[in-house]
Parts: sequence; C-alpha cells; structure tokens
Amino acid sequence: MTLRADHVAGAAFVVFGVAIIALSGNLPVGHLSMPGSGFLPMIVAVLTIVFGFALILRASSESGPFAELDWTDGKHALMVTAITAAATLLYEHLGFIVTMLLMMMAVLTGIERRNPLRAGIYCIAIVGVTYLAFVYGLKTPLPEFSF
Amino acid sequence: METTLLSLAHGFAIAFQLHNLWYAFLGCLVGTLVGVLPGIGPLSGISILLPVTFGLDATQAVIMLAGIYYGSQYGGSTTSILMRIPGEASSVMTCIDGNAMAKKGRAGAALCIAAVGSWAAGTFGVIALTVVAPPLATIALKFGPPEYTALLVLGLIFLAYMSSSSLVRTLLMACIGLMLGMIGIDNMTGHFRYSFDLIELGDGIGIVPVAVGLFGLGEILSTPSHKVTGEVIAPKFRELWPSRKEWKEAFWPIGRGTLLGFIIGIIPGSAHIISSFLSYALERRLSRHPEEFGKGAVAGVAGPESANNAASTGAFVPMLALGIPTGPIPAVLMGALMVHGVSPGPQLVTEHADIFWGFVASMYVGNLMLLALNLPLVSLFVTVLRIPYAYLYPLIIMFCIIGVYEVNHSIVDVWIMLIMGVLGYGLRKFSFDPAPLVLGLVIAPIFEQSLRQSLIMSNGNYFIFFNRPISAGLLAVCIVLLCLSAATFILKRKDWRDSLAEAEAGDS
Repeated sequence: MTLRADHVAGAAFVVFGVAIIALSGNLPVGHLSMPGSGFLPMIVAVLTIVFGFALILRASSESGPFAELDWTDGKHALMVTAITAAATLLYEHLGFIVTMLLMMMAVLTGIERRNPLRAGIYCIAIVGVTYLAFVYGLKTPLPEFSF
Repeated sequence: METTLLSLAHGFAIAFQLHNLWYAFLGCLVGTLVGVLPGIGPLSGISILLPVTFGLDATQAVIMLAGIYYGSQYGGSTTSILMRIPGEASSVMTCIDGNAMAKKGRAGAALCIAAVGSWAAGTFGVIALTVVAPPLATIALKFGPPEYTALLVLGLIFLAYMSSSSLVRTLLMACIGLMLGMIGIDNMTGHFRYSFDLIELGDGIGIVPVAVGLFGLGEILSTPSHKVTGEVIAPKFRELWPSRKEWKEAFWPIGRGTLLGFIIGIIPGSAHIISSFLSYALERRLSRHPEEFGKGAVAGVAGPESANNAASTGAFVPMLALGIPTGPIPAVLMGALMVHGVSPGPQLVTEHADIFWGFVASMYVGNLMLLALNLPLVSLFVTVLRIPYAYLYPLIIMFCIIGVYEVNHSIVDVWIMLIMGVLGYGLRKFSFDPAPLVLGLVIAPIFEQSLRQSLIMSNGNYFIFFNRPISAGLLAVCIVLLCLSAATFILKRKDWRDSLAEAEAGDS
C-alpha cells in the first residue's frame, strides 16, 4: 500500500484529537442540563478524530503519494522561520530599529544573496521611514532598545 | 423606507466629514496596493494594518479597514491582467481572459472594464446592503441562544459545502479553529483551558496573530523569490478607454455578475472566490462565442470582476445585521470593531447608528474613489509590481511582526503568529484551506455560549433546537446541505470544485 499525503494528515489530526482529550482531564464535562467547561472541547476533539479517520479512509481517492510532495521550498521556509524566530526573540530587547535592520539584512544577504551595500541602504531607508511613520505619524510607540 | 433614507442621509453627513473622507481614501489606496502585491492578500493586509487604526475612533477605523477590503478586490485585478498572477484568490478567473486581452494589446481596456465593473457591482452591493441589513437586524433581535446555535451550525455547514476544498477537510479546519477558540478562561465557569500556565493565553488566542500567521507569513514561507516572475505588461494611459464593442460586450456580464455576486456574498464560505468562478462559468455558457473564452473574451473579465466585488459587499450583510461573519475577512473586521468596543449584531443599527450608517455611506464614496484611483494611478501600480519580490517579502515580515505585536504589546502573540505561519505552510503542502480555521476561531466563543445556554434553558433537552421554528428551519437546511454533499460523493458527480480545479489547471 502506498503511503499517501492524506494518510499522514489524517493520522496527525487523530493524534491531535487524542492529545486534546488527554489534556482535558481536569476540565469538568458536566451534564446536558449544565454543560461544563470541558463539554464542547470533548465534542470537537471527538469530531476531529472522526474526520481524521475519514481523511485516512478516503486518502487513496483524494490525495497523491506522500513521497511525491514537493518540498523544494523547504530550505527557504526553514531559513525564513529561523530568522523570524530570532527577530521575535530579540524584538523586546534590541528594540524595533536594531532588530528589524538585522532581520531584513539577514534575509536579503543570507537567503537572497543580494549586494550587501544595496541591501543595507534599502533596509536603513525602510526601517527608518516605518519607525517615523509609526512613532510620529500614527503615534504608535514601537519597542526601544532595553538591555 | 423613509427612515432608511433619513438614516442614510445622516450616514452621508458623517462620511463626508473631511477626516472620514481621508481615512476612506487611505483605506482604498492601501487596499489597492495590498491587492496588487502578490503574497499579501486582503486578510493579511487588514490584519497587519489593524493596529494602525487603534488611534482612530470606531467609525474611522471601520471605514478605513473596509476600504482596504474592497480596495484589495479592485487591486487584485491589476496583477491578474498585467502579470497573469492573481493578487488574491478571487482574481484567479480574471487571469485567464484579462491577461489574454493584455497580450493582444488591450491591457488598458481590460483594466478599465474591470474597474468599471467593480464600481458598478460595489455600488449595487451597498444599495442592497442599505435596504436588506436594517430589516434583517430587526428580525435577528428575536433570536435566542437556540437560534444562534442553529445559525452558527448552518454557517459552518454552508462553509464546508461551498468551500473550495472537500467537506471533510473544511470541517477539520473548522474543528481546529473551534479548539483554538476555546483556549483561555471559560466565560461561564472561570476554568483555565489549555493555557499551559501562560497568563497571556488567559484571554484566549487573538484572531490577528492567527490570521497574519496563516495567510501572511504562511504565504511567504511557501513562496521562494525565484518562483515569482516580474514580467509586467505596462499599458499606456491613452489605451485605457475600451471601444464601443467592448463596452457592449461587458454590459450584461457586469449586470449578471453583480446580482450573482451579491447573493453568493451573503452565504457563508469563500464567497468572493466562488462568485467569480460561477460568473465566469455562467458567461461562458451564455456566450454566443464560447470558444473566445481563454483567448481574451471581454465577458471573462467583466463578469468575474463584478461578481467578486458584489460578493465582498454582500458579506457585510450577515456581519452587520446578525453579528455573524461569513468568512475570515468579515471575521477580522468584526474583531476590529470589538477592539474598538463595538459589538456587531442586530443592536448595531440602533445602538451605534453613527457607525453603521457612516460606514454604509462611506462605501458609496469609497467605490467612487476606487474608480478614480485605479485608472489614473495604473502606472504607479505597475512601478510597484516591478519591485523584486526578494526585496518585498522581508518588508512584509516586518509589518507582520509590528501588526501582531502592537495589538496587545505581547511577544507571545508574535510567537503564536510564527507557529501559525509554519502551520499555514504545512496546511498548504497537504492541500488544506486555512480560511475555515479562522472562522472557527472567531465563532467558537459565541457558539459555545449559545449552545450551553440553550441546553441550560431546556434542562438538557436537545429538542429545544427542533421545537423552535427558526432553529428547526435552519437545521433542516443543514441536513439538506449534508445530503447534497453526500449525494455528490456517493454518485461521484462533478461539482463546482472539480470544474474550478480544471479551470485553474487549464490556466496554468
């Protein structure tokens, strides 16, 4: 039997539903005349499991082989995620200007291999204009350097 | 009717205030740019720019955000016609004949027909909204928890039935959205649910980090710059006016697309996408020269463009009159109103008449502004389209971070956005449409509360949903839709989803 994309997706949803039920242990389900805080989560988790199984059962007619999924953009996605995560980590410490300059430079020179000088000028201009627009134009404060 | 006209006149008095005109203009301009740029759709555009409206009052905020919404519908056609890239999903059908017209040297005419069709449809949509929404809100005041529960179930089933992916996939996404919507303090018992000791999750997960993550960052993660082509067909200003023959060919498709789009817009689901597809199919069927479709048929541009704009306006009817979003974009707009302390719903017309009528009147003005903006500024949009995507997407990531952080000044929200971005990337890989997830997230609190209140009212008797005529009627429609869906599956009949897939495959 060929492993199809929907086999994997369906299994993930079943696991998710089971995990929700396991995490709902301390939430009272209540009874029909007085439903508790665990009532709807339980219904939705069960539905997720049922639909997950439905996806697995219909996988052969609805989806292609898992091995044929196109992951060529995976490297790009991974690098952008890593850079965005680093920016998120630093945002409240280094402030808007430094973090965004570093993030945009990392994307433009690290991922896109652009000329560092041109990229630098572009980043300084964009970050500067955005900062001025938000702080002075829209009166919306942005995080400042605070180590 | 007299009351409606008087209220509308009051709305115009609000809309014509200088600062409101300015925010309508700003919304339309930014919306058009959002629609023009590939990789940033109306949903992420509105979500990212939501914090910009925090300093404004509720009327100005909703005028600006609505301008972004319908502006992006206008702008989407520019990229479709000039680059054969749909700026956003509802412009897929415009790509086919719009770009073919551009290749024949009629890019200007295609843009003009798309703009005039969009204006006519938008204006008709607002007139219909003016007439339909207030009486609907009066009826909705009679709704109790069982009716709301049934209406929300119907919304989810309708969404699943009309969605561009299969019923099971859509319902799965809605379930995940409902689960996310239940994170935080339970309003009825005070229990903390799935918050993992994070105080920031006590109020639940906001719609903005989820929407920006799934649609903004998710799109960027799955679009490496080398996949985005920069070839633009630039029309000359004097070529913008269509010939008499082209006007004649566009007239009836605009009318039909407008009517079809508005009706579909009221129904939950990806209305603007479905309406443009159905309009294209209808025009091809009615045409005396169906062989011209795909090779630059004027009706193939006029119909879908009118339909998606009418649908955008139609989607405001249930949002404003019932307080129920029919799709992710009205859901974000609802969230925006709530941030400003206004709850959309039947009381909006009576309790916040200034906001309701000011908003409706601003849409008449906004549609005119868009018509005036789109044609003269076409060269500006062409210049924007020439900016390499490699330089554009770091800028979009920056706005994603600012937009999400500024809502609550919470870095946890930015982490949620990042997680949702990765989830959105994964969902795209496995052919899931994330839109029902956002809708599930928004309706989860209303749905849970009305379901539990209904059961408490009836002492645990489920028949409360069938004993009351309105909820019974709504649930009967749900059953009919589920049976229709099952019949399509069992009989292996082709439905509109298969035809859309074929059209997209043919287009590519």
